[in-house]
Amino acid sequence: MTPLRRAVLWVLIALVVSWHPGPGEAAPPTSVGGVAIDPDAELIVALTDDTPNLDPRIGMGSIRSNYIRQLFESLVDVDHQGKPVPGLALSWKPVNDVTWEFALRRGVTFHDGEPFNADTVLFNLDRMFRKNLDRWGIKDVAAGTAFDKVYPFVTRWEKVDDFTVRVHTSEPAPTLWDFLGREPLVPRAWTIKNGVEALNDRPVGTGPWKLVVWKRKDHMAFERNDAYWGTPPLARRLRLQVIPEAAARLAALRAGQVHLVEAVPPLDAEVLGRNAAVRVVTSVQKLACRVYLNGRTKDSYESGGRDGAFVDPRVRMALNLAVNREAIIAKIFHGLALANASPVATVAYGHAPQPPYPYDTGRAQALLAEAGFTRDNPLTLQLLLPAKHYGQAFDETVAAVVEMFKAVGVQVTVQTLDFGTLLQTLTKGTLPPNGGFAACRTSNNLDADDFVRDWATTTLVNWTPYPPELLSLYRSTRRQVDARKRLALLADLQQRVRDWAPVVSLYQEKKAYAHTTRVLQFVPTQELNMDFRGVALRR
Amino acid sequence: MRAFLLRRLVHAVFVVWGVVTVVFFLVRLTGDPAALLVDPSATREEIAQARHALGLDRPLLVQYAEFLRAAPLGDFGLSLRERRPAMRTVLEHFWPATAQLAFAALVLAVVVPIPLGVIAATHRNGVLDHASRLGALFLQSMPSFWLGLMLILLFAVALGGLLPAFGWGTPSHLILPALTLAAAPLAQNVRLIRAGMLEVLQHDYVRTARAKGLAERGVIYRHAFRNAAGPFLTVSGLSLGFMLSGTIVIETVFSWPGMGRLIVQAVPGRDFPVIQAAVFLFALVFVAVNLVVDVLQGLLDPRARVFGGGA
Amino acid sequence: MRVPRDRVALVGLAVIVISAALATLAPALAPADPARNDLLARLTPPAWMAGGSWAHPLGTDTLGRDVVSRLLYGARVSLIVGFSAVVLAGVLGVLLGLVSGYYGGRLDDALMRLGDVQLAFPALVLAIAVLAVVGSGLGNVVLVLGVTGWVTYARIARGETLSLRHREFVEGARALGARDAEILWRHVLPNVLPSITVVATFSVARTIIAEASLSFLGLGIPPPAPSWGAMLDEGRNYLTTGWWLALFPGLAILAVVLGINVVGDWLRDTLDPRLERGL
Repeated sequence: MTPLRRAVLWVLIALVVSWHPGPGEAAPPTSVGGVAIDPDAELIVALTDDTPNLDPRIGMGSIRSNYIRQLFESLVDVDHQGKPVPGLALSWKPVNDVTWEFALRRGVTFHDGEPFNADTVLFNLDRMFRKNLDRWGIKDVAAGTAFDKVYPFVTRWEKVDDFTVRVHTSEPAPTLWDFLGREPLVPRAWTIKNGVEALNDRPVGTGPWKLVVWKRKDHMAFERNDAYWGTPPLARRLRLQVIPEAAARLAALRAGQVHLVEAVPPLDAEVLGRNAAVRVVTSVQKLACRVYLNGRTKDSYESGGRDGAFVDPRVRMALNLAVNREAIIAKIFHGLALANASPVATVAYGHAPQPPYPYDTGRAQALLAEAGFTRDNPLTLQLLLPAKHYGQAFDETVAAVVEMFKAVGVQVTVQTLDFGTLLQTLTKGTLPPNGGFAACRTSNNLDADDFVRDWATTTLVNWTPYPPELLSLYRSTRRQVDARKRLALLADLQQRVRDWAPVVSLYQEKKAYAHTTRVLQFVPTQELNMDFRGVALRR
Repeated sequence: MRAFLLRRLVHAVFVVWGVVTVVFFLVRLTGDPAALLVDPSATREEIAQARHALGLDRPLLVQYAEFLRAAPLGDFGLSLRERRPAMRTVLEHFWPATAQLAFAALVLAVVVPIPLGVIAATHRNGVLDHASRLGALFLQSMPSFWLGLMLILLFAVALGGLLPAFGWGTPSHLILPALTLAAAPLAQNVRLIRAGMLEVLQHDYVRTARAKGLAERGVIYRHAFRNAAGPFLTVSGLSLGFMLSGTIVIETVFSWPGMGRLIVQAVPGRDFPVIQAAVFLFALVFVAVNLVVDVLQGLLDPRARVFGGGA
Repeated sequence: MRVPRDRVALVGLAVIVISAALATLAPALAPADPARNDLLARLTPPAWMAGGSWAHPLGTDTLGRDVVSRLLYGARVSLIVGFSAVVLAGVLGVLLGLVSGYYGGRLDDALMRLGDVQLAFPALVLAIAVLAVVGSGLGNVVLVLGVTGWVTYARIARGETLSLRHREFVEGARALGARDAEILWRHVLPNVLPSITVVATFSVARTIIAEASLSFLGLGIPPPAPSWGAMLDEGRNYLTTGWWLALFPGLAILAVVLGINVVGDWLRDTLDPRLERGL
């Protein structure tokens, strides 16, 4: 081949190579599984409420997660079965007992073009643990989770190279990948330049969707991030529409004004399930609803000198035996809930199934008698109920459970208050000695530790602290680095907690979603957010 | 006239200040927002830290002085929930959403009753009269949110989406919420105008005008109505206040993204800056509208001013 | 023409009397305990529909509680709240109005300013805020609705007092050494009563509706107490699947409030035609 021809050949090869579409520049697919879809469509989803903030540090409850996780991503992603998969980190492993190493994904950029690398992760860790804030020139925010207080054993972090980060701890931390890896990450240069308040206005993240418009309390509009590192979404636009009234949400669905609706009430889910134009899908959630009881000793709260009336585990077990969970799940939830005697949600990593609490009013009354409560000296319970905070089904369940307690001889008075007042009562420690409260608990993390940690430290919800043997068992689960041994320890802990019955477990939530037949490939997750990456609209 | 205006202005400023002060101390009585902003698994120290970061652990009077200093400049602090200037949040919700709704409802409640009430009065005891009175009675006798829900059921579900069940944006979204909000004041105004017209129509000057051969329409509207209008105007001014208050419930039923829903969330959420800014705005609008009504009344019926302040 | 008016008013009065009677006799009339849950009988439709039974003539609610019983006991709550709150507001308002009008001066100024401030306050916000402080419960709801309603009564009482203050019989009584309190009670109050009665009647209607609105926002009488407003609130999530839950309490409120309004109309026509302009 002559030199000229070789040169031309190389030029041609170079041209062909540079014409090959890079990541994210491919033309969006026009069909999925043989069905023609509309790649320019706008997917409209109806949610129960708006988010007050987009900065992940401020809070990541179930409503906020739906908005925040469309824009921002974390090191660890989760698949539809609830298993951790690589997100912004390709892999994570312990290099020794006290050090974790994260290998970061390359070629990821934020929506404004800023590159994602180890410096981003270090900046975010600084924010989470409130270190070096003046060095970065950013303000602190009143955070939902104060990492420096909850995980004080995380000592320092450093970058090994531009795409590798190491985090050091002062003691073994087998779940570090979970509690650090699920926090959404914000851009470094952008946040320093615009300030943390700008994160709540027009934020940029690495997520599959870019924010276009945020009309507060009304809707948030997104458009596809064509430069997304993974497969870009199949719809060009996404709109999260706020419709607080359940009846209005379903009316909008039936009228075709929205494509997908979350939080379908159980009875409506059943009725809609018979409608041919609508698909109802359900998914188990991590939300566990309970009645918490005052089991603190007199020096750990504003007691007026009296121990909590529920210090005796027999009393708590009696109340657990008095609840007819089958009837509640069948009648109030129409099957959209499950009973779980383990303190850990069934879909969390490390869950060990426990024998369910039987419905046995005879045994319940016997236990109460054993504990010293008789007809002339009945057990009394002042139950604080945050009405309308967790939904209609929760309020109905608590009302039904109150009657079930009464049926075994407990004298119950219900005090309805708003959620804020409940939190305040718990913060100040002014729960009465025979007090209790109904509340639900969910988790942003994948590991069981998030659940069993509840009774290990002095927090708002811990009214039955672990006795010494359970506390040391818990601590050992925290430190056990070998996965198999740790699972065994967790199983042991769950079995003991089930028998020790710190709370009256009511139910674990199953959420129902309804969508029109135009929506394809929607799979609900077990996380707090919905994932729209693979969802398409039929043409 | 000028002295009258000046007096009313001073009075207005006083009322707004009074409202804002009452709200300031009242919401601080409802409790501590810090616990709501942190994780439920937070410790006492973290909550105390959050409270300090928000400036809520300073003495009440210090906070009040700070508030009085900043408020006239439009600075009501940052919303505790959203971390943005509270007044900006409130204004974004008020304009155009709640303003549209309240204005549409006000127009419906003020304009529609005029011909209805007049016709009812001039065709006393006729079919229209009885029908309108019965209808008005019914509308005034049901809770507004129940009416709203029934309307949603009728128009959005039973009639297959004739009108939208939620949301905001087009005129057709405005119809159902405005109707629901206007229903009770509309009914009341129909009865008021009818009653006022009935009384006025008996008076001498009406007979005189008729005797002079003036066209009936002119008699009714130019002479009679002008005199009947007084109390109806006063009530309309007051009903704006009730209407603004009513938006709280209506916006929840119709998912209308306005100030009412903002307040419904802000009070249990103890978002003090937002509550203060919102109530301030409410009071301002209410007082301004009533001022306008007073002036209009003075222009329409010179006699009314003799009975002056206090009414 | 008074005759048709009187007949309508009679019907209205009958409705009120019947509701009060039903409310009082609730324990004897109710087919079941209004607070008793029966999850198995949840959401049974009214008796004349498929799946209904005459044990629960108007069906059951989301927890299996009998609707008729809850309506009967709910009548108690609604009527008690309505009347008590108005009595509270009326007594408070008339007292303040009488004093304000009689003594005038700074006291009068201060009270009227306070009234203006309260009127400029969005009523629901005040209710929400106060209930958040004191907690919801029958007594507190009555208190809130009562205390926030005094202004109208005060204004009317004050107006009457102002116009009567310098009349001859008052001056005469004072010359004879009668005490202020006696004058107010014996001479001024009877003149105030007609207008106040009319306003109060309409207020009862409005208060019953206000209690329903508070329940709608989650602030009314807390569960399991059966107030009509709370029943409406529980029923609104089941409009299509359990329409009887929202319909019957809504009709009950409508009937009673309509009756009260009609009686109020008649009272106004009889007692004080002047008031037509002011309402």
